[in-house]
Amino acid sequence: MNSIYINSIKHISAQKPLSDEWFDEPVQNSENYVRATDPDFKQYFAPNTARRLGKILKRALLVSQAAMKNDDVSQPDAIITGTGLGCIENTELFLDKMVREGEELLNPTQFMQSTHNTVSSLVAIEAKCHNYNMTYSHKGISFECALQDAFLQMQSGKIQNALVGAHDEMTPAYFTLLKKVGYLGQSNQTFAGESAVAMMLSNRKAKNTFCKIDAIEKVYNGFGLPVKPAMTYTGIDFVMVGTNGVAENDNIYFENCVRLFPNVPLLQYKHIFGESYTAPAFGVYAAALCLKNGKIPGFLFAEKGADCKLASAKILCYNQFEGKNHTFILLSNV
Amino acid sequence: MNRILITGMGIVSALGNSVGETLQSLRENRSGIASLRYLKTAHTEFPVGEVKMTDGEMTALLNIPENVPTTRTALMGMLAVREALASAGLAFSIDRRGQLQSIMQSKESPLRIALVSGTTVGGMDKSERFYLDFLENDTKNAYISTHDCGACTEKIADYFDIFSQVDTVSTSCSSAANAILLGAELLKNDRADIVVAGGSECITKFHLNGFNTLMILDKAMCRPFDATRAGLNLGEGAAYVVMQRGRDVLNTSEPKPLCELSGYANTCDAFHQTASSPDGEGAYLAMKCALENAGLQPADIDYINAHGTGTQNNDMSEGRAIMRLFGHKIPPVSSTKAFTGHTTSASGGVEAVISILALQHDFIPINLNFSEKMAELPFTPYIKMENSDRVQKSVRTVLSNSFGFGGNDTSLIFSKTL
Repeated sequence: MNSIYINSIKHISAQKPLSDEWFDEPVQNSENYVRATDPDFKQYFAPNTARRLGKILKRALLVSQAAMKNDDVSQPDAIITGTGLGCIENTELFLDKMVREGEELLNPTQFMQSTHNTVSSLVAIEAKCHNYNMTYSHKGISFECALQDAFLQMQSGKIQNALVGAHDEMTPAYFTLLKKVGYLGQSNQTFAGESAVAMMLSNRKAKNTFCKIDAIEKVYNGFGLPVKPAMTYTGIDFVMVGTNGVAENDNIYFENCVRLFPNVPLLQYKHIFGESYTAPAFGVYAAALCLKNGKIPGFLFAEKGADCKLASAKILCYNQFEGKNHTFILLSNV
Repeated sequence: MNRILITGMGIVSALGNSVGETLQSLRENRSGIASLRYLKTAHTEFPVGEVKMTDGEMTALLNIPENVPTTRTALMGMLAVREALASAGLAFSIDRRGQLQSIMQSKESPLRIALVSGTTVGGMDKSERFYLDFLENDTKNAYISTHDCGACTEKIADYFDIFSQVDTVSTSCSSAANAILLGAELLKNDRADIVVAGGSECITKFHLNGFNTLMILDKAMCRPFDATRAGLNLGEGAAYVVMQRGRDVLNTSEPKPLCELSGYANTCDAFHQTASSPDGEGAYLAMKCALENAGLQPADIDYINAHGTGTQNNDMSEGRAIMRLFGHKIPPVSSTKAFTGHTTSASGGVEAVISILALQHDFIPINLNFSEKMAELPFTPYIKMENSDRVQKSVRTVLSNSFGFGGNDTSLIFSKTL
């Protein structure tokens, strides 16, 4: 069994792009729908590249390249992406024109950039990387599907490193639809956000290493039986949960945590990064940064507390989606 | 015994609504491609490989109440998974939950059954129909939540209520092949005891029009590996295999394995979002790495079920990759897309089932509609029809290719179990 380290993490989100500054000074958002704060793409890409690519693609490419560079990797053994909705902006543009104006004169570029695996492919094309290339799209556990794939291949020694990404854009129209079905924009709910997170995972510890990934587990429980992880998690110091202010969602966390991890303090992250299908990647990022910095900022505690210093610690990231999918990712400091 | 065995399979496609009907159509060289009948689109000029059932007919076959929101992709998936589970001798029906419980509890701990499903279009059939309703009123809100790929997988999973893990792969036309690949990894890494893997995809106006904008649809029947080829015909369908570890299966008399998944690999062409490289680098690497993964030599392959879409670009690129890897000893190659149409995300599953049928029955499906050799390639696809479609030699090992947008290239190798 090989060890698996997170050696770099780069993000574009509601917080300052490509930066860990939120850890000390988080940007507060009070709107119910917040687009990500983009960096000045012109600084990073040629003008025609920036024009050609949709939002999700620009963000994904930039954070992927930054994460790889930060770990001195130019061609990862695997490029694996999780995305709940894929390239929804281009999908919408193509669909809208087709429905309103008919089936002629449609734009091939919008179609080409509408499929979910455009992201993983783009990163590979730019890196000229012929290695394993995968994309998962499974609602609120899309990131965990991707991480599981990387984890299993690294643990068994099949690959030595992997770029794992979590990418979702949210258009105004799609926000409206998801508000109608109760997933986003509910009263008291943390804001609907966008995610672009890239992580370099490696068997090799580096000077920038955030933490170790000790375990990942996914449980599907379509009929709402009590969740029972197969793995036994011991010595957990904190559980990072995806509470978002909606009682129906939060109570599932509270009930399961009381039962599975009694008396372990809960941390949360969605008030900082927002809700999205791939938001759980921010939970892992936040926990990883706490482990790297040896500190948990008070604003991450579910029950507001003071900053807390960490020596050696284990943080379990627990995500559930609609009470049906449950995922557990165990992180420890190095 | 860390071998991965296939112990069941199920399929719906233009060739028929079961494995048996699929075999019969292949044996009789009868294509399922015809004029548009079910999809409502302005582009009636394109022949397609539709599943010959309405959504309502599928809903009835599955005993699903009419008021439950479903998508065509999910319905086809349920039918194929149902057949796959039955053929593996696994209890499956919601009506027979009691029997299911007894099987799942017959061991010390319940069996962990994973569903790994590939799709890209997902619930787009309903989204494109109700798009304006979604925006303007509340009459079709239930279908907002059936749009995404994961929703399709969960619809299938919930119908059977036996799955303790679900994953959705979305790599366009290689999705189902990649689902089978992930399924093998889940078994090898002891994440599941039984995996049901494959893919489902219905034809939608969305991707019919998308492919049309790329100018890769043929208004005539598609002609893979033919000098006159002018594009693909879209198809639809669902196909899944049941996979188990060799050590789990060989200790019991049932189920009898259909074959072994002896090797697999995924690589990236890293050339273009929708076009393949002229030398087929990604395809070459996928086939080469799958052979290495299986511990086999090119000479061990008895039949290549090619991706062979019938587009200028794919067949040239894939043909060159085959030429590079197999040199002067190229085994029989055929594309079965002129039978089924290009079933996009489901194609890796559909062609896995066809490859397994070839192994089981020692026959090679012919490459329909072939007339003129491609000048650029040293080989012609398999069209042998004299006397019988049986080949002299036994078909022991089949290589199946599935290539997707973004140069996502996957090769699977199926072998007879000895």
